[in-house]
Amino acid sequence: MSRMKLNLGPQHPSTHGVLRLILDVDGEKISGCEPVIGYLHRGMEKMAEGMTYLQYLPTVDRIDYLSGFFNSFAYVSAVEKLLKLEIPERASIIRVLLMELNRIASHLLWLGTYLLDLGAVSPFFYTFRERELILNYFEKISGQRMMYNYFVFGGVRHDIEFLNEIAPMVKTIVEKLGDYEKLLTDNPIFISRTKNTGILSREEALAYSITGPNLRASNSHLDFRSQSDLYKNFEFKIAKADEGDCFARYKVRLDEIRESSKIIYQAVDFLAATTGDVNTGLKPLNLKIDHGEAFADVETPRGLTTCCIKSDGTDKPYRVKWRTGSFYAVQILPKLLIGNMISDVMAIYGSLDVMLPEVDR
Amino acid sequence: MIKILKSIKALLEGLFTVVKHLFKKSVTLQYPEERPVLPERFRGGHTLNGCIGCGICRQVCPCNAITIKKVEKKVTSYTINLRQCMFCGNCQYYCPVGAIKMGNNFEPATDCNNDLLKELVTNNESEADK
Repeated sequence: MSRMKLNLGPQHPSTHGVLRLILDVDGEKISGCEPVIGYLHRGMEKMAEGMTYLQYLPTVDRIDYLSGFFNSFAYVSAVEKLLKLEIPERASIIRVLLMELNRIASHLLWLGTYLLDLGAVSPFFYTFRERELILNYFEKISGQRMMYNYFVFGGVRHDIEFLNEIAPMVKTIVEKLGDYEKLLTDNPIFISRTKNTGILSREEALAYSITGPNLRASNSHLDFRSQSDLYKNFEFKIAKADEGDCFARYKVRLDEIRESSKIIYQAVDFLAATTGDVNTGLKPLNLKIDHGEAFADVETPRGLTTCCIKSDGTDKPYRVKWRTGSFYAVQILPKLLIGNMISDVMAIYGSLDVMLPEVDR
Repeated sequence: MIKILKSIKALLEGLFTVVKHLFKKSVTLQYPEERPVLPERFRGGHTLNGCIGCGICRQVCPCNAITIKKVEKKVTSYTINLRQCMFCGNCQYYCPVGAIKMGNNFEPATDCNNDLLKELVTNNESEADK
């Protein structure tokens, strides 16, 4: 009787970006959903064709501005594969350390804004206070809070500094996680909004190429960190949950912060005990790369990010292709939303941790 | 019944956590009155000192913000267009003589377009180069 179309976005405070959802609603129930993307398209892939390899490096931080180090890493290591460049061990450990700190910052922001969408205001302030510690540290070592541009071809720009500040900082954050859990894990309102809503089965998630914490909340072990050479010297567990609902995704992200902190402690111990070069000293002016194709992947807070570069012998890439995790999370949205209430839309959409700049590139 | 009691306990625990924060020290910076302490490597507005005019900064700049004019191997004009600049720091990192430095100015907002076209070579400097 009361079937109608409901337009959500593109300017909606809870979408954290510009996503438009065209919902078919039957009373309060959703019977259809069509995501419309492309409002934040900046032409990141086409832009690379008109820039040199070095000029393109600062812009890749903008693909996903909450985890700039991961994008830089994917691009830089793809170029290093094309150049067949060996990077010093110390540089790769610094990269791991910074990426894991970035993962914590990204998950903390997700937690705060997700709860803001659900109507809980105080955790937002707490998570932002803790995230500020990490961002201040990033500002000290790289010069900016979110657009770092710290990785260079063959290592990192400067040697790491203020190493003794990291362990106390991470310890405070992990302690504060207990506070959040007191507020949330047993909270009946939070549980009734997240438990058994938006259930994503393992088969469905794999069929739709979902990666990252969203997949690991659906009873899967797939984490590209465990297969990469970069993390082979570190001991950590893969955070995982079985249920596949919004609450499981929340639990997996909190566990990931704890596991990241373990990697950070090991990396800090290694860096404090050793010294060495942090880059190969390559001056990449007029960098020309022979014909070839290389891709590098990295496990970001939002799934698998792959950067594929095709070079044609000039100083500009012939083609750069990005695969980002959030794009696939938007793809699964119609499957998850149909049959749920309008009030569940933001609970489900928020739990997927979609980053719109990353979807549109 | 037990479920309800458990819920009430969890809610009270949450309330206690929130109330605890009322008595903690404030972390907010009252920005225009209190100024932030900026780190040494902060990437803000540029300064130029002792430029040799090699043009590497122009070459590595991702947004073509830098214009250099030379007369007989001497830099007569060095302009940075802050409307295009993305403060990536490439010019500072790849400068062979360390001439261009990024400073602490993080408030380039202005009401005149031409103010953002920063001319960095002053007459005094070019005299000192002689």
